[in-house]
Amino acid sequence: MWRLGILAYFSTLILSADDALSLRAVAVLKANCSGCHGDSAAMSGLRLSSLDEMLKGGTRGPAIIPGDAKQSRLYLAVTRAAEPAMPPGKTIEAGDIEIVRQWIDAGAQWPEAKASSWWSFQKPRRVAVPELMSAWVRTPVDAFILAKLNEKGLKAAAEADRFTLIRRATFDLHGLPPTAEEARAFINDASPDAYEKLVDRLLMSPRYGEKWGRHWLDLVRYGDTAGFEQDPYILEAWRYRDWVINALNSDKPYDRFVKEQVAGDELYPDDADAKSGTGMYCVGPNRDMLFKVEDQNRVEVLTDYVDTTSSVFLGLTVGCARCHDHKFDPIPQRDYYRMRAIFEPAVKTRVFLEYNEARGYDLAENRREIKLRQIGEELSRIQAPYRKELLEKKLATAPGELREAFLTDGAKRTPAQVEMVSGAAGRTYRVSDDEIRAALSQADAERLHAIEKRLVSMFAGYKPPPMSPGITDIGPESPKTYIAPRGNWQMRGDVVGPGFLSVLGGGDVPVEPPPDAVTTLRRKALAEWIASPNNALTARVMVNRVWQGHFGRGLVGTPSDYGVRGEAPSHPEFLDWLANEFVAQGWSLKKLHRTIMLSSVYRQSSVGGSPRDPQNLYLSHYNRRRLQSEEIRDSMLAGAGVLNLKMGGIPVVPPLDDDELYGIIGNPSDAWVVTADKTEHTRRGVYLISRRAFRSPMQEVFDSPDGNAPCPRRESSTIAPQSLTLLNGRFTIEQSKTLADALWRKPPAERIADAWQQVLARAPSDSESHAATEFLAAQAKTTGSQQAALAELVRGLFNLNEFLYVD
Amino acid sequence: MQRTRREILLNAGRGFGAMALTAMLKGASAGHVNPLAPKPPHTAARAKSVIYLFMHGGASHVDTFDPKPELTRRSGQPISAEQVKGLKTSFIHDPSKALLRGSPWKFQPHGKSGIEVSELYHNVGERIDDIAVIRSCFGDAFDHAPAIYLRNSGSQLPGRPCLGSWVIYGLGSENENLPAFVVMSDGSTKSGPQGYSAGFLPTVYQGTVFRGGVNPILNLATPAGVSAEQQKQTLSFIDQLDREHLATRGEDSTLEARIASYELAYKMQSSAPEAVDITKETGATKKLYGIGETRTDDFGRKCLLARRLVERGVRFIQIYAGTNTGDDWDNAHTDLVGSHNLMCGKTDKPIAALLTDLKGRGLLESTLVIWGGEFGRTPLSQGLNGRDHHPYGFSMWMAGGGVKGGQVIGATDEFGLRAVEDAFDAHDVNATILRLMGMDHLKLTHLYQGREQRLTDVHGEHEFTNKLIGS
Repeated sequence: MWRLGILAYFSTLILSADDALSLRAVAVLKANCSGCHGDSAAMSGLRLSSLDEMLKGGTRGPAIIPGDAKQSRLYLAVTRAAEPAMPPGKTIEAGDIEIVRQWIDAGAQWPEAKASSWWSFQKPRRVAVPELMSAWVRTPVDAFILAKLNEKGLKAAAEADRFTLIRRATFDLHGLPPTAEEARAFINDASPDAYEKLVDRLLMSPRYGEKWGRHWLDLVRYGDTAGFEQDPYILEAWRYRDWVINALNSDKPYDRFVKEQVAGDELYPDDADAKSGTGMYCVGPNRDMLFKVEDQNRVEVLTDYVDTTSSVFLGLTVGCARCHDHKFDPIPQRDYYRMRAIFEPAVKTRVFLEYNEARGYDLAENRREIKLRQIGEELSRIQAPYRKELLEKKLATAPGELREAFLTDGAKRTPAQVEMVSGAAGRTYRVSDDEIRAALSQADAERLHAIEKRLVSMFAGYKPPPMSPGITDIGPESPKTYIAPRGNWQMRGDVVGPGFLSVLGGGDVPVEPPPDAVTTLRRKALAEWIASPNNALTARVMVNRVWQGHFGRGLVGTPSDYGVRGEAPSHPEFLDWLANEFVAQGWSLKKLHRTIMLSSVYRQSSVGGSPRDPQNLYLSHYNRRRLQSEEIRDSMLAGAGVLNLKMGGIPVVPPLDDDELYGIIGNPSDAWVVTADKTEHTRRGVYLISRRAFRSPMQEVFDSPDGNAPCPRRESSTIAPQSLTLLNGRFTIEQSKTLADALWRKPPAERIADAWQQVLARAPSDSESHAATEFLAAQAKTTGSQQAALAELVRGLFNLNEFLYVD
Repeated sequence: MQRTRREILLNAGRGFGAMALTAMLKGASAGHVNPLAPKPPHTAARAKSVIYLFMHGGASHVDTFDPKPELTRRSGQPISAEQVKGLKTSFIHDPSKALLRGSPWKFQPHGKSGIEVSELYHNVGERIDDIAVIRSCFGDAFDHAPAIYLRNSGSQLPGRPCLGSWVIYGLGSENENLPAFVVMSDGSTKSGPQGYSAGFLPTVYQGTVFRGGVNPILNLATPAGVSAEQQKQTLSFIDQLDREHLATRGEDSTLEARIASYELAYKMQSSAPEAVDITKETGATKKLYGIGETRTDDFGRKCLLARRLVERGVRFIQIYAGTNTGDDWDNAHTDLVGSHNLMCGKTDKPIAALLTDLKGRGLLESTLVIWGGEFGRTPLSQGLNGRDHHPYGFSMWMAGGGVKGGQVIGATDEFGLRAVEDAFDAHDVNATILRLMGMDHLKLTHLYQGREQRLTDVHGEHEFTNKLIGS
């Protein structure tokens, strides 16, 4: 990991302009040295706050000799090669020292521009498409990529074959494999626009929203529960999940998509669906339910709002500025609290999706509460005499003081008596409901039965009205926002008003809303500021996320960090072109996918590569990728022929073994209430419950995010527990048996070919057929069962790299 | 004639498990680096392995390792509002109205050092000359889940990597056939699996839960109804097709690594059951750990297993004592006497045995044994027989791994309310543990969300390694 980190640095250094190197080097020095050698202090007479100061140096002489790091005091000090070793008490990271070395060796140019002129804080430029004479260039995308390939002396790979293309496109847009028929149809489609038709068909399917919705849910740290010790359900969180999927399927323009999430309540107060976008702020982790720390919780909630908003929409990590001015990026602490002031008045609310149903909801709820209380009292009245009698029987043998404790009226018990009754000592004497039920007279048993009937009829078909979690303001006035010195929320610094990041142009949000406003309209202002072509980051960040979704790596390798520490873009002009194009196309995500997918770049084979570009930054071939955990699961279900494509609704809780539920908080029978309807168990992974404090083994080993922070890109690890899970896990075994049973009903001669078609969407080669035949024979010999052998064959296919990877 | 790469790959497929995959990987592109390969520490390491005994739910310090005669003397008396100012409790409604409660157990000096330990832990007391007791731990999280996250990962919020993950991230593993970071628990914990999560570090650094039984790892066992022979045939089949697949796709270290991961999984299927098979341990050893006795059998097995894992090069082992669905230290809310008699009864003998056994085998010098939990318990009474959560001053101890035994570090006030001398928070403790493993907590970093993140975040400035090693 370290090695990778340093590698990443090098690669961006080579790429970025001199200015980037200078900015980085100066940022490293500022972060590590400015406390003693900055504007406010000059120990040993040395300041590192300008080039002149560095050249002048301190009492020991000049700090640097431009062009020669190894002779520079500064370099010798930070590498601890000479005294005084600096900084005292800690060592600057190797990658950062390397930046300083390169900067000095390159002549130690002082960054002419300030950090605020960092590329990402400038609006995307209007860029001309490179004019290249090449048959390879199908679209402007290709022109940009090819220009760079030429510049780097790299060659594009050949076009992938049609089978690879349809499998790639289907996984990329649907998170599912194509069926064998779909693959065949595409391969045999002789029309010149066969591929275009394929992409359009895939974009039209609701499977698209399920796949890309999952990306978005990762990003907004979505979960169905809140985490911590109780891990309680978040009220109807799934409504937000469905909102995301629907928004993507209907190709809601991205600017509108942003606005509804940030301020749907203020911008579209009469549109319930738009208001449910604000659910984004409710589906993260929180510990509201923990008592006695409400004030601290409030601070954490607001921190989450600010951090999530800036990282998701702007690709900025402003979190550092919570405690102090950002060390690398030009984000002063004041800016952080100005942004927080925007959210200061926000509170959680319920968005009723249908007015008429909602109107009666609270009334019905109250009525039900009263009824339940009556029923509770009635039950107690029936039980009381039996409880008393049974208790007396039990207490006959109990020690005197325990007996007295039990027989004292609840309210009159001393603390010691309460202890005795509720503690371990009283365990054997307490009377259980079951004991009472067994003792009931005929008449009382009937009364109890009548109550049960009433309860059943009250709750048959019970469901709350359609409502979505969301936020809105407590009113037109906001509580004050104070800067927290050193991030300590218990201290109050200056009061600040709402405003935007100064590095992106800044500006204040009016504090006085119009007289008829019911909210502060602060988030409305923020939403409009973010979802604007004038915002330097919004479009760039999103096109890069989509690009990453297709190529595994973004044009900017750090998808949620566009600051000075982030990676510089591999294709800066292209990124700007794509961002502008996105806006020009009405912020349409589907058009963006199309633009990307119709290119020759996207259609390249994944076989290729050059030692000169080991990370494939310049895309001389397609990046093979491993399926994500949901894709693995969904593909197995599709292969087994049992994938249930029902959309939306409350999260599905699939069955897991006790062994798989190991460690879940609380008793599994309460914490993991399996969905009663079995057909639901084979629905797509995006509809499965995501508990924050527990991930299923498949989610865990295959790098699903934990929902604690925005996840802009999943890891793609290769570890032995993945093999164990896929090989021996209950899920694989079940799906293998399911498919084997279906194959078993086919004529023996067709089984192998059918297995291949179902799992891999293609016919087996001769050598594969041969291997499979041999395998089945050997297995049948070992087990004595042809059908069991078939299940083993399918289990094998589900474990293949071909199944797990997209070429 | 030189064989082509394709031929090598295809031939290698003949006979699963017969081939040294590492050789294949070395011969292939060097792109894939085993993330768990052993890495050199930053400085000389004192401990190679850690066994962290986590007393889940909160063990009372004033009833175990922090004797408070003044508390006993004033037992039953009220405390001044001034003394409990700022104290947050979970169930005691108003600490200023609660009564002091002395320990119902006796403390006795043990060993040459004469350090006083409660009769609850008399067996551990006998090992006190190997133990450094830290009586001055403190924190600011007074509910279980945030406090467990804080002790383990340096943050009250979940999502950050825990100590064990950081340790194997920094040092790698010495046994690639077993997980590098093993967790054993009594089942459900109050923090859930996030208590031993790798957080934002890659999944490979996650703690692996060992359950009881022959196959300790989830999905390790060959599925029911599948024989060992069948399993091997299926693996060979996968291997053969994977190699054909690879041969047509040029060099790809990731595909190769996945082929190798099946080999590794296969090896684990034999090495893990061997590691947990205690039948070959002598009767005397088993007896020492209390295996076979109702109360100590379970925790005794876990401790013995921990020793066996350390012998096999496992880097970090965390054992939780207590669960939120059964016997737990936290039952001290309403039943201090019962809960602590039970939990100490379960753990005392096995822990003492672990120290004795490690020492006898010469492993204690290189194995750091830690005893601690998310917090202590109030010196104030909750109800008449309870103690509440208490993070403001509580005890941990460490032994082995270069730690100088027979010493007490830090102190709480006369009642055990607050750490008043050499107070150490979770970050200080974690920085110290890393240092004993040869790592500088300032240098062990991972870039995430634009920052070089550390286990100790921006803290850990009161690392106390020098006190522990007695230099």
